[in-house]
Amino acid sequence: MSGLQYAELFCFSNFTFLTGASHPHELAEQAHELGYNALAITDVCSVAGIPRAWAALANSPVKLITGSWFELSDEPAGATFPRFTLLARTRKGYGQLCQLITTGRRRAEKGQYQLYYRDIETHTLDDCLCLWLPPSPTEANSDQALACGEWLARLFDHRIWIAAARTLESGEEQRLARIRWLSDQLRIPVTAVGEVHMHSRERQPLQDVLTALRNHTNLENAGHCLFQNGERYLRPLPVLQRLFPESWLHETLTIASQCTFEPGSLRYEYPPDLVPDDETPAGYLKRLTREGERRRYPGGTPLQVQSLIRKELGLISEMKYEHYFLTIHDIVDFARSQGILCQGRGSAANSAVCYCLGITEVNPARVELLFERFISKDRNEPPDIDVDFEHERREEVIQYIYRRYTRERAALAATVIRYRPKSAIRDVGKALGFDPALVEQLLEGIDWRDKATNWRQQILDKRVTRNPQVADQFFTLVNTLLGFPRHLSQHVGGFVISAGPLAELVPVENAAMADRTVIQWDKDDLESLGLMKVDVLALGMLSAIRKALELISDKKGQPFLMQDIPQEDPDTYAMLQAGDSIGVFQVESRAQINMLPRLKPETYYDLVIEVAIVRPGPIQGDMVHPYLRRKHGLEPVDYPNDAVRKVLERTLGVPIFQEQVIKLAMVAAGFSADEADQLRRAMAAWKSHGDLTPFREKLVNGMLERGHDGDFAERLYQQICGFGGYGFPESHAASFALLVYVSAWIKRHYPPAFYCALLNSQPMGFYSPSQLVQDARRHNVTVLPPDVNASQWDHTLQGENSHLRLGLRIIQGLSANGAERIHQNRPADGYRSASELRRLAILDQRDMERLAGANAMPAFTANRHQAYWQLLDHEQPAELFAREMAADYQPEYCQQLPEPTEGQNVLADYASQGLTLQRHPLALLREQGHLTFCLSAEQLKSTKTGIPVQVAGLVTGRQRPGSASGVTFVTLEDETGNVNVVVWLETARRQRKPLLTARLLHVKGVLERQGDIVHVMAGRLSDLSHLIQSLPVTSRNFH
Amino acid sequence: MLWLYLHFPHLVLDHIRRTREDQGALVVVEGSGQKVIQACPEARILGVRSGMRLKTAISLAPDLGMVRANETQEVRILEDQARWLYRYAAHIVLVPPDGLLAEIGSLQKLYGGLPAVWQTVEQGLNERQLNAWIGIGYTPLAARLIARAGKGECTADKDHILRTLSQMPLLAAEFEEKACTRLQRLGLNTLGEVFDLPPGELARRLSPELLAYMQKIQGTRPDPRTPWQPPHSFRQQADFVQEIEHTQGLLFSLQRMLAELEEDLCWRQQDTDSLRLILKHRHAEPTRLQIRTSGPEHRADHFLNLIRLRLEQHSLSAPVISMVLQVKRFLSREAPSGQDLLGETQDLNEAWHTLISRLQARLGDQALRQLSPQADHRPERAWSASEVVHKARTPRTPTEELPRRPLWLLKGPQPLTEAPTVWFSGPERISGGWWDGQRVHRDYYIAQLNSGQLAWVFRDAREGWFVHGWFG
Repeated sequence: MSGLQYAELFCFSNFTFLTGASHPHELAEQAHELGYNALAITDVCSVAGIPRAWAALANSPVKLITGSWFELSDEPAGATFPRFTLLARTRKGYGQLCQLITTGRRRAEKGQYQLYYRDIETHTLDDCLCLWLPPSPTEANSDQALACGEWLARLFDHRIWIAAARTLESGEEQRLARIRWLSDQLRIPVTAVGEVHMHSRERQPLQDVLTALRNHTNLENAGHCLFQNGERYLRPLPVLQRLFPESWLHETLTIASQCTFEPGSLRYEYPPDLVPDDETPAGYLKRLTREGERRRYPGGTPLQVQSLIRKELGLISEMKYEHYFLTIHDIVDFARSQGILCQGRGSAANSAVCYCLGITEVNPARVELLFERFISKDRNEPPDIDVDFEHERREEVIQYIYRRYTRERAALAATVIRYRPKSAIRDVGKALGFDPALVEQLLEGIDWRDKATNWRQQILDKRVTRNPQVADQFFTLVNTLLGFPRHLSQHVGGFVISAGPLAELVPVENAAMADRTVIQWDKDDLESLGLMKVDVLALGMLSAIRKALELISDKKGQPFLMQDIPQEDPDTYAMLQAGDSIGVFQVESRAQINMLPRLKPETYYDLVIEVAIVRPGPIQGDMVHPYLRRKHGLEPVDYPNDAVRKVLERTLGVPIFQEQVIKLAMVAAGFSADEADQLRRAMAAWKSHGDLTPFREKLVNGMLERGHDGDFAERLYQQICGFGGYGFPESHAASFALLVYVSAWIKRHYPPAFYCALLNSQPMGFYSPSQLVQDARRHNVTVLPPDVNASQWDHTLQGENSHLRLGLRIIQGLSANGAERIHQNRPADGYRSASELRRLAILDQRDMERLAGANAMPAFTANRHQAYWQLLDHEQPAELFAREMAADYQPEYCQQLPEPTEGQNVLADYASQGLTLQRHPLALLREQGHLTFCLSAEQLKSTKTGIPVQVAGLVTGRQRPGSASGVTFVTLEDETGNVNVVVWLETARRQRKPLLTARLLHVKGVLERQGDIVHVMAGRLSDLSHLIQSLPVTSRNFH
Repeated sequence: MLWLYLHFPHLVLDHIRRTREDQGALVVVEGSGQKVIQACPEARILGVRSGMRLKTAISLAPDLGMVRANETQEVRILEDQARWLYRYAAHIVLVPPDGLLAEIGSLQKLYGGLPAVWQTVEQGLNERQLNAWIGIGYTPLAARLIARAGKGECTADKDHILRTLSQMPLLAAEFEEKACTRLQRLGLNTLGEVFDLPPGELARRLSPELLAYMQKIQGTRPDPRTPWQPPHSFRQQADFVQEIEHTQGLLFSLQRMLAELEEDLCWRQQDTDSLRLILKHRHAEPTRLQIRTSGPEHRADHFLNLIRLRLEQHSLSAPVISMVLQVKRFLSREAPSGQDLLGETQDLNEAWHTLISRLQARLGDQALRQLSPQADHRPERAWSASEVVHKARTPRTPTEELPRRPLWLLKGPQPLTEAPTVWFSGPERISGGWWDGQRVHRDYYIAQLNSGQLAWVFRDAREGWFVHGWFG
């Protein structure tokens, strides 16, 4: 076997969904292991697997060849359907391949492709090589096969081979005879191929499972859909030598040597459009920065900022990143010109240059600490800026990008949707023919947080199968399938913009959403190839802030902008310290509300920490308490050495941010820059398929060797794992903290504007409109009900005292157009009758019914029952211009209809608007004596710690956070506020029914207190939902 | 006319529960396995409700037993109930999926009053271990609403019935959803409040259909119902939640089914000499047993003895998930026996059928088989000998696409004892079947042996050589 060489030219990875049974990197590693010369990844009409294979082969002599497999949807006259692989010879050939894939993909539904023989004739493919897989004798007769070969030979001239595989299946001899005959007739050389579907024969079971799923059947019924054996794997060289004639093997090398394209040579070419003709990119960026400087620092730029700008511009120039900054500046500039609020975040966003360019509002003069990590020169890591836009107006920005760069040059990055435990268990179960109901039962029984996965026993316990062997197989298959790609979806907002046609850089395909196109690579692929993307994201809070600022401007009678908000306002911090943060950006969750009074933020940087500390990383690393102790001076702040001090000084010696942890790995555990970078990547990928355990030993030992505490090292590793799921870097926290401050300031000083803007930006945030309205009323905002004679579509502020008038949008199901007409066509003195309203606002029956249900016509209807009775009369005056009749204003009254009770009104309000401005249902129940021994949320505040209490309330939240070891947090709402209930796992297990199904819950428990935060530790739970019905009206769905 | 309505709140569950001794929580789940459709009382105690997501139900009751809903099964079970009710009342109406109506006005005299009728029906239900809510009313709809609301009483007092109806909450009155919402929005809570609205206004402001519905409940508008006709054959099915592995386990259910058969035959005044028992399995083809008596017969214990004998000889080929008892052939009790079965068979199909039946009768069902190809790469599973059927069940694979296989495939591979003289073709590698425990991994060759025979030989994963068939 000495001297035998081979290149595999036909290989599906698992990016040929439900077909390939190995990851690209597994194929690459196996090819390396076996000593192949080259490996082509040739997925079906796709190059999605290329970047991963390329990354895996970075340090290997195995050459990666880029190719793709096609089956045409029609055939040239007299021939069979052509099937072939195209390989890219050079960069040019790669572009041709991408174009062809794009054509096929853009024409078909998401996930499909469609190519016709005319496409092959009309596309330029002169730099691609063709490997033809001729039909077997059972698929087509020899004339058809010959015609097909002649057609291809004509198109590909001397760039065509016949591909011969040895799958050892029945009929192979006839197939090979056919190939030899065609080769003779057409004078086309034959090359060996593996028709590879998996890297190793061990994957045959998984490949069978995928095949069954693809054919929508199970293994038992899959029959001949399955391959006859598991021979489609990367074979060892000696095996190949036994199976193929030497000349065929040699031909693979000839082909491989012609393919010189290398994915690493792809370079992002920036769109030149942004730079004026007479300027260089560097000069232009410098000019824009200078202009921004004058705007930002009218009194002159501080010296320290000046030097920062110089340093940054130098670095940008050196790395040739000018276009990147210019592109983002251009997009942000557009948003500004349209009055769309936006804010950049990410390491490069928090720079002096970005501040001057208006990409961020984080002022470098205020928080210099952040600016040390701008762009890293050591790592070839592209700068990272995400820009958030108002969620309701982001589409305008996206459309601008499409307009400015055209669809040929701009597309969204893909997101690879992968198998997760549940989907993997479902699909493998389906293939093995398990009863779907039993599989659901199994899924329900598995505690996903219980890392010790004892599924195997559970599968046997649940009688999904009685065969322990099958259970083992199931377990193995599920584990292997985990992390396999299922399909490509669109990234939330990552745009790739190119200078030339994008389709020559990477194929473009259709997304599920109409008019959206995605490229075949996701953000990790782009990163590994060093290509850049611009993240255009949507953020609800920005919409709310813009609306609030407008309302404040109206009130003040002059424009009021974000920069007009005074900095470091003590009243705002006092409010946050009291945990009064419902509606405030990022710190409104229950966990944050609990943290605020403990951390007691007093400065902007405290907010940066506040945002980052209530996350899995710091919590799992047990860094929260040490930080709090140090912050409040209960524990000395010290550092083992100066290097560590430099990293941790701003967080009092306790690592909080992801960046710090990585830095710490370098200064405290001796990681090289390269290793630290690997750690960063592994953390980013951990959720889907990564593995952090290799770093554990290195980290812990490295730290022990350097004299650090072993316990600290272990905690740091836990923190890294926590970051793995939900990494949250400081650079993002810094931008978010700014919005925390802005929204908190508005809440503190202009509560009506704050709640009005939040309500007008729904859906967003943690809380329902009902909860926001209740919070508003607790902050002394007067809230008025929707009224056809006073409301607009949006919620508005009315009068000197800024009363919040609910808009018609609160009425569920009312059409926006109808509501708009109610407002537009309203007579000066208001509508006087239902029929006038119907006539003038041209409302249909449905809208009228919604208005009646919302009791939004108080001026001319006695109550909602009578209003409704009137509307049900379908007889309308025939002519549109019918004279108003006196009868119009004498509403019919039906004696038989009962008057609504308070309870009925409350429930009808909830049904129509999801909230009520009347008394809270709990107040009614209390009055009726149903809740004799229950304390209200207000009363709890003044109750002693440790005594048994009873509470009751509407269940507004049930949470089981991953970081809280099986504890369920339940939030109950009564007429005075919210009650926090903590349910331990054991309690929850014993009382599943009330815990999971009650809408109105009664809890007996013990009161506990941490600072100002009050909890009820639940003992006995009971479901009081029936009391809601006892509000005198029959059942109606109640939220 | 006076109507009696039987509402079966969980008919399928009752049907299944009476075939098993363990009475744990059980639910019926809709076809796609997402939602609970029926919950038995034990499940309801645990908080499981119909309409609940299966996920929630399982978290409430982790050991929940589940049965997949099947519409035809439901109708069939309902018809089973109609059959026995038919013995008491001539005018029966099926109200799928879970209700039966019987006209009982004429029965009162026959049975000596309404209480006797009520008692007879209740007894019938008890004997069959069925839960049903009974309602009585002067219109089919009134009886139904009262039954389904659980407000049934043994009275024919018109005022009393009307009062019960009037107090019925709107939600229980089975309005279509939209009408119900509208009535609720008018602040109405009970059916009586709707009765009170002026009829003209009701039709104008709500809908004429709603008025018609009100009138049908009250009996001021006719509501004709088509009477049910009993079928000409007998069929009973038992479904098992847990698979039955031993024949002994079938006898419990058989006893009940045969008792019903006896009742049915008595009521028909007929006998039979041939029963068909079908045992269904989860994966395998059903087992069909034909049981013949020596002469016309109707006694359950006689049938049971015959079947027990038959089952003793016949061990179960696979666990049983359900069992069907069928009788299609009824013999008049007086009719003379000995008629020529082959009397006047005209068409060929019939002749074929008769031939098969005769061969089966002579040789036994097991002796007669029909060959067909199966989609499986493993040679021993690539064909099947199944019970003879009269129609082709799957489109055949064209012969040229079938792999090259010897005509004579040995029952099992035999060790190859000599080195072949000539090798003709191979290897053909077959590897698969890992999913059902019958894994094969073999290389097949065609080779000539010393004797000149052309053999299909293979080498398996354990490196052993075997002969698997002979070519002609």
